[in-house]
Amino acid sequence: MAEFINFYFIPGLILGSIYALGAIGITMTFVILRFANFAHGESMTLGVYFAWTLVQLTGLHPLVVMPIAMVLTVLYALSIDRIFYKPLRNAPVVMLVVASFGLMLMTRSVVQFFWGVQLKSVLPGIQKPIMVLDYLRISPKHMMIIISALVLMFAVHYLLTYTKIGKAMRAMSDSPELARLTGIDTEKVVLATWVVGAALACAAGVFLAIDTHVETRMGFKLLLPMFAAAILGGVGRPYGALVGGLIIGLAEEISSYPFIGTEPLLNPGYKAGVAFAIMIGILIWRPSGLFKGKVF
Amino acid sequence: MKILKKLAITASAIAMMSVGAQAAGEIKVGSAGGVTGPIAELVAAIVKGRQVAVDHVNSSGGLLGGDTMKLVIADSACDPKAAVDAGNKLVNVEQVVAIIGPSCSGATNGMVSSVTIPAGVTVLSDSATAPSISELKDNDTVFRASASDAYQGKAIADLVWKAGIKKVAVTYSNDDYNAGIANVFTTEYKALGGEITGNQAHEPNKASYRSELSTLNQGGPEALALFAYYGSSGITIIKNSLENGLFGKFYAADGMFDNSVIGQIGADNLKGNLWITQAASDTEDASYKAFAEAYKAAGGDPEAPYAAHGYDVAFLMALAIEKAGSADRSKISAALRAVAGPEGEVVRPGEWEKAKKLIAEGKDVNYEGAAGINDFDKNGDVTGLFSVNIVGDDGTWSRSMLK
Repeated sequence: MAEFINFYFIPGLILGSIYALGAIGITMTFVILRFANFAHGESMTLGVYFAWTLVQLTGLHPLVVMPIAMVLTVLYALSIDRIFYKPLRNAPVVMLVVASFGLMLMTRSVVQFFWGVQLKSVLPGIQKPIMVLDYLRISPKHMMIIISALVLMFAVHYLLTYTKIGKAMRAMSDSPELARLTGIDTEKVVLATWVVGAALACAAGVFLAIDTHVETRMGFKLLLPMFAAAILGGVGRPYGALVGGLIIGLAEEISSYPFIGTEPLLNPGYKAGVAFAIMIGILIWRPSGLFKGKVF
Repeated sequence: MKILKKLAITASAIAMMSVGAQAAGEIKVGSAGGVTGPIAELVAAIVKGRQVAVDHVNSSGGLLGGDTMKLVIADSACDPKAAVDAGNKLVNVEQVVAIIGPSCSGATNGMVSSVTIPAGVTVLSDSATAPSISELKDNDTVFRASASDAYQGKAIADLVWKAGIKKVAVTYSNDDYNAGIANVFTTEYKALGGEITGNQAHEPNKASYRSELSTLNQGGPEALALFAYYGSSGITIIKNSLENGLFGKFYAADGMFDNSVIGQIGADNLKGNLWITQAASDTEDASYKAFAEAYKAAGGDPEAPYAAHGYDVAFLMALAIEKAGSADRSKISAALRAVAGPEGEVVRPGEWEKAKKLIAEGKDVNYEGAAGINDFDKNGDVTGLFSVNIVGDDGTWSRSMLK
């Protein structure tokens, strides 16, 4: 049991938190701007590189400089929206998707150009875990990741439930037409969507960087599980994205637990397929996802 | 429709003309490599090796009647899909004579089977080592200057066995290179009498390998044989193992050899825990010394993995073009065999003028490369030497030759 929790459940939880935070941005842009944002992973990568640079400059812990990196990532997202997406606001959806695809490649190339393709680390060395209750092993950095992720999730919850702009965002995601008719400033909601999405993407990226390392394709690699999480939770449902992310993360890790005998249930070499399989299954049998999202 | 056809003909005519025009002053050779991707640092040194060789050729007479040899770089990203794109670009757009590279085995397999074998373009890789490359039906167009992992896998098995370790767990990244070498290792280690307690593929690029490692740790293995690229899973696996007290000892192959392994994990954590084998050059050899001097002069570290191989492939390709007498794709394969030896007068790195003269006189040349003797067998493979790297007292890699 201890083994299950230490090596399958906790890693799954951490991975799930990272997916969840990333998926919120995807699900919100999907429903409010009506397109699948392929460049979301690259916002994440860029955010991590901002954080890495700040760590190098200040020598502080990555979580301390993370808010500044988040602000920088938000500024990036807003300027991208202004330059690339705004002129396409009323264009066919496929153009937006292609534009985001192009931005994905451009952003990655810019990152590779300025920072190089070498592996980097925001927190070099290894950290021995702390033993809790004699059998739980929790690494300090994992504690920090889980706590910070919880804080951010509550912040999102607060924003969506108690603030005017958050309510407007939810209204937009429920029914864009109705929202417009009731006089909600859609342009403001769009900007808020970018702000929330980019800030959370940056945070998720930094968590991943703390857990592993910094690399120019790190955001892109998360794109598929994040989309899977968004679809599982129901497109346009931020809470769905949170739950979906956690489920996907846990499912990926737990799928290789030796439930029967000593062999892993699923060969870990095919872990990445789990997110994909869940996504396909949901699309076929329950396209609206767990939280009754939009179906396109 | 007719207009389209006309346009197509005109376009191809223009394309052909422009190729013809360039051939007078410049001969293009494709240089595919994983410039980005999980072994980007290694590839930078390899690409530099290739360029040093090309500079030697161009500064002492150039190719054929004074043509410049030009390397056209294409990023194969250590990925089969990217390598196919890179190969298409080189073969169909850039119209190169032949290709050196790509770096990774999976990328090489992908590129040669979809692009270069059908097109009849000769490929000479400097660092693709998977045993599966020997078995390709390639009409003798795929060569490599590095030894197949059939040799390296055995070298690691010997190393582990001689260290007195009787039980190991094996994990490999799910790609051609790592699966190939893991397979050889497993067979050889069992043949020596060792026990494999667990053998598992893992998916590269995951954030955590704790669950895999926990499963692998069953059955009392004394060490982990880790076949992975450092940048896509290797470093994470070592970190996860050490942090969770799962495995303490690691044996790995050259895909793990990079300074970032020490930088990311910390030298103190790795001292006495990590052994990495690597294709090595005999540093006392005259060919190696000639290369090392030139490479150092160009600002590189000649001991960088496969840098010498990078030099060799570019130099060999230049010799092959010279021997073929023209930038004709179909003649390169035979010419490459002719200049690599074993018959003929020995030519060493940097000796371009001498080689050019010998070829002009119609004599056989035998290139003895910086990385080894480079005589191709029937599969287009070479044998090689290996070294083992450990983290030394000063916190950097310390190397010794195997055998």
